[in-house]
Amino acid sequence: MNPRGFQDGRKTSRDGDLAKARGLEMFAADRYGAGMLWAGVRRAGVAHAAIEGVDTSRALAAPGVVAALTHADIKGSNRQGVIQRDQPVLADDRVRHRGDAVALVVAETRQALAAALELISLQLSELPAVFDPDQALAKGAPIIHPGHAGGNLLLGGRVETGRGEAVLAECAAMVEAEYRLPWQEHAYLETEAGWAIQEDDGRLIIVSSTQTPFRDRQEVAEALGLDPARLRMIAPPTGGAFGGKDGVSVQSLLALAALACPGRPIKMWWSREESFLASPKRHRARLRYRLGADSQGRFQALAAEIVYDTGPYDHLGGAVLTLGLEHAGGPYRIPNALIEARAVYTNNPVSGAFRGFGVPQVAAAMEMTVDLLAAKLGRDPLDLRRLNAVRRGDIIAPGVTLTGSTEIGQCLDRLEAHDLWRGRRAWKEAAGPFQRRGVGVAAVMHAVGYGPMVPDVGNAKIELGADGVFSLFCGVVEMGQGNSATYGLLAERVLGQEPGSVRLIQPDTDRCLPSGSASASRTTFTFGNAVLGAATLLRERLLARAADALLGVAPAEMALLPGRVRHLPTGKELPLDLLARLMTPEQRVAVHRHRAPASTQRPSADPVLQMHGLPHEVFSFGAVLAAVEIDELTGRLRVERLITAVDCGGLIDPLLAERQVEGAVVQGLGYGLYEEFLAREGRVLSPDLATYIIPTALDAPEMETVFVPGHEESGPLGLKGVGEVGIDGPLPALANALRDAVGDCPRRFPLTPERVLEALAGAGERGGRP
Amino acid sequence: MAKVILPADMGQLWEAMEAHPEARLYAGGTDLLVRLRAQAGPPPALVCLERLEELRIIEERGGELFLGAGATHAQILEHPKVRGRLPVLARALASLGSPQVRNMGTLGGNLVTASPAGDSLPPLYVLGAEVQLISRKAGRRLPITEFIKGPGRVDLNPGEVVAGVCLPKSEGWTLQHFEKVGRRDALAIALVSLAALLRLSSEGVVEEARLAWGSVGPTVMRAPQAEAALKGRPLGLASLGEAAELAGQALTPIDDLRASASYRRRVAGNLLLRLAEREA
Ligand SMILES: Cc1cc2nc3c(=O)[nH]c(=O)nc-3n(C[C@H](O)[C@H](O)[C@H](O)COP(=O)(O)OP(=O)(O)OC[C@H]3O[C@@H](n4cnc5c(N)ncnc54)[C@H](O)[C@@H]3O)c2cc1C
Repeated sequence: MNPRGFQDGRKTSRDGDLAKARGLEMFAADRYGAGMLWAGVRRAGVAHAAIEGVDTSRALAAPGVVAALTHADIKGSNRQGVIQRDQPVLADDRVRHRGDAVALVVAETRQALAAALELISLQLSELPAVFDPDQALAKGAPIIHPGHAGGNLLLGGRVETGRGEAVLAECAAMVEAEYRLPWQEHAYLETEAGWAIQEDDGRLIIVSSTQTPFRDRQEVAEALGLDPARLRMIAPPTGGAFGGKDGVSVQSLLALAALACPGRPIKMWWSREESFLASPKRHRARLRYRLGADSQGRFQALAAEIVYDTGPYDHLGGAVLTLGLEHAGGPYRIPNALIEARAVYTNNPVSGAFRGFGVPQVAAAMEMTVDLLAAKLGRDPLDLRRLNAVRRGDIIAPGVTLTGSTEIGQCLDRLEAHDLWRGRRAWKEAAGPFQRRGVGVAAVMHAVGYGPMVPDVGNAKIELGADGVFSLFCGVVEMGQGNSATYGLLAERVLGQEPGSVRLIQPDTDRCLPSGSASASRTTFTFGNAVLGAATLLRERLLARAADALLGVAPAEMALLPGRVRHLPTGKELPLDLLARLMTPEQRVAVHRHRAPASTQRPSADPVLQMHGLPHEVFSFGAVLAAVEIDELTGRLRVERLITAVDCGGLIDPLLAERQVEGAVVQGLGYGLYEEFLAREGRVLSPDLATYIIPTALDAPEMETVFVPGHEESGPLGLKGVGEVGIDGPLPALANALRDAVGDCPRRFPLTPERVLEALAGAGERGGRP
Repeated sequence: MAKVILPADMGQLWEAMEAHPEARLYAGGTDLLVRLRAQAGPPPALVCLERLEELRIIEERGGELFLGAGATHAQILEHPKVRGRLPVLARALASLGSPQVRNMGTLGGNLVTASPAGDSLPPLYVLGAEVQLISRKAGRRLPITEFIKGPGRVDLNPGEVVAGVCLPKSEGWTLQHFEKVGRRDALAIALVSLAALLRLSSEGVVEEARLAWGSVGPTVMRAPQAEAALKGRPLGLASLGEAAELAGQALTPIDDLRASASYRRRVAGNLLLRLAEREA
């Protein structure tokens, strides 16, 4: 928590931090309306079954019920998904996990809805289910998508560089370890929610909590067999998303409900338990790592085998796998590598996009393994990282040459110079009775953007209104990061207007232009450039028009100033509202399309991996220093201080960037210390926030974020994405700190007091105290 | 919609309870409303105790300290008679929930919920609290160990409410200690907790020890063997280690999602060792 927050007098988020804190910012979940109906779904409750029948008649006859629908009421493909469209809107032939929606009910009240959902009878014939990725790949395993060519393998990827794993045998030092990372639930404040209405002209308006309004429109249209032009998607700021809303949740269901109930507003809002059951999680993963170095400590070879449990549907699981593959060796030069990754279908809850997107898992494994290697070599772990850290032009383990800005070296230098690192011995020795202290490091990198094939495009639109006020039509969703505030700053800068004066229009498929998802650390990187382009275009047009009006010779004589244009030689001014009225509406609007650079490197010949994002062109970097204190009596691990050094290129708004890092750090600590999403046979054992423990403000350590100077040519004002890089490092840094303190570290997460106490006991038996 | 009755005085309370015998009582609602949310079917009628001044009294009565059942944790925490003199209770209440929960939740609610993890309970056990019950016609008073019969089970008859708890005059405790182990630092359900009262001689020899643990059995657990192991010996790691061993044997924790029984047993004993570091 940076105490500067509100006190430095800089207002950064124009919608107002206070308004957000007070709950005044309107989420999709906050929308109601006269005569509003409630929609909800009956979920399967079994992990794997053939559907023999769904009887809605009793529900339909219940008081207050307006509609009860099944897959038979769907005219389109009834399939949604980003890459493989393999998830039904309403399950038809099969149930593939307990949370599958089977029937949709619309009712006058929430009570009537709840009662009616109970009255739906499902005739299911249970099928053998599989919950473990290894078992899912074994011969004879029940097949979850009989039509899928790879069986239960959603996607497998393999990259071999240099002489591959053979080099491990030649290394002076080699370590190996296996790690298990748990599912992580996004646990956003606003659970999946939306609101829809079918208007008199037949158009469907869908307001939902989403990261992807434009893609949703296409998916919903296809799944329900509708003309996309019939759909208008509106995406207000979300109450958190973190990747969990990178895809359709309530949207198709609401559209289906609206088709059945024309003229009535309809709301769907998942309960916390429903959200936990049916929303995607961070993939749980098993990772086997072998890393070898020469006697100088230079990394020579890496073998990594990564298995992601993707659940029953492709909620970007292939893309998660590909990013994991690309980042498996971290920000280091490693000339020989064999990296194999698999994303496997199971009947567990769905896994999918989550801030970090496959990288936190591999960063955890790699960074803990680097510390094992440092111990084996008798090297200082920070030093070893500095020795191996990439510079621009170097090649990382999967064979990708870093052509963009690469400042991991500076990040590590800043940690090395930090008083926490310099003074670590004294600090550790000052531990009180029954306390042990340790300091750990991690270094990470994080790709920015979609990768080489999927167009990473932003389309910005800026309008000078007849009232003389500029409006910026945002194509990417505001999900709490303050990205729209940043777009505003960019536009104001180019247009010479006061900060906060540009009106921000949040995504609406009728008014804004498609600009991709709010994800992949691309939001400001890509859309920011589009904003700069549109603002520049509009400025030029305004200056030209004003020059004509004020009899200026050339636009160069004109200056665009807050609220007006001035003819510099004469000092004559034209207020913007007047200028606006001298122009046609079309002239007052500028649009600009920007496509982020796509890598032309081909570290893998596999077109499927390329399509899923291998490789990227631009990366952000980060390094984390964590100081932890461990209580020997209870195993409680407290993170006392956490320093993150970040290379995200240039900074537009340092405060917003710092908040991104701090938020990611706390979420990363949750991943490392508290959050354990548990499911047994696909049944959620941690169904709510009483059993699924996320960090509170009191659990946040003293945090410090250091931005190292950097400039990325392809980014707006030199910036790179900062939304994800902060989440990759905390878990391994604190695991390494624990190891530093007690001589051992569990390879299973989160580090509950119980696991820490076991590590203490284990290290004690081996006399492991360093 | 649930019917909610908000009696303003005890007379109205008795009337409401008689008119709606099926109604559920609640004070802060921080336990009851959570439970009701999970229940299917129409919500029951509710009688709210929040406005009853009589239940919120905190005062000394004939040498005893009376804590009204309707007093919130925050009110009790702020009260000078608690903060200064009963650190064992104050520390426990300070660790209960979060500021919001302490502002709403009451002592009576924590007692009647009778969770083995109820944070006020281990201190009340070692302090020898008695529970004061009242009904329209009568009152009765019983030791907390008799009032709490099991997880979620208390000796409360229809028509009765908890008026408060009576704490006997402090018996010159040299050391009052409470520690809770949770999965995080706020809004944490106890994995294990320990309340301890020790009276030491001027030479540092334990004259009396009272120990009570939360979350290691169906109710708050005492371990007389462990207390006996401390008595008559200087307070130090040797005696505490022995007591820890005995405590581990006496307690009957269970496995759940939050921690295993063996962790709880081990840590319950370990927590005693902290007493060696506590200054008297
Ligand atoms: C987010 C959260 C965190 C929590 N954290 C903790 C924690 O850390 N530690 C902890 O111990 N508890 C915790 N709790 C539980 C709860 O807050 C406490 O048990 C609190 O003391 C309950 O008091 P209340 O007044 O809200 O009870 P209510 O919900 O109002 O009532 C609980 C029960 O007691 C009965 N009751 C209440 N008062 C009386 C009375 N005077 N006479 C007879 N019956 C009565 C009610 O009928 C009901 O059955 C937490 C709860 C929440 C929601």
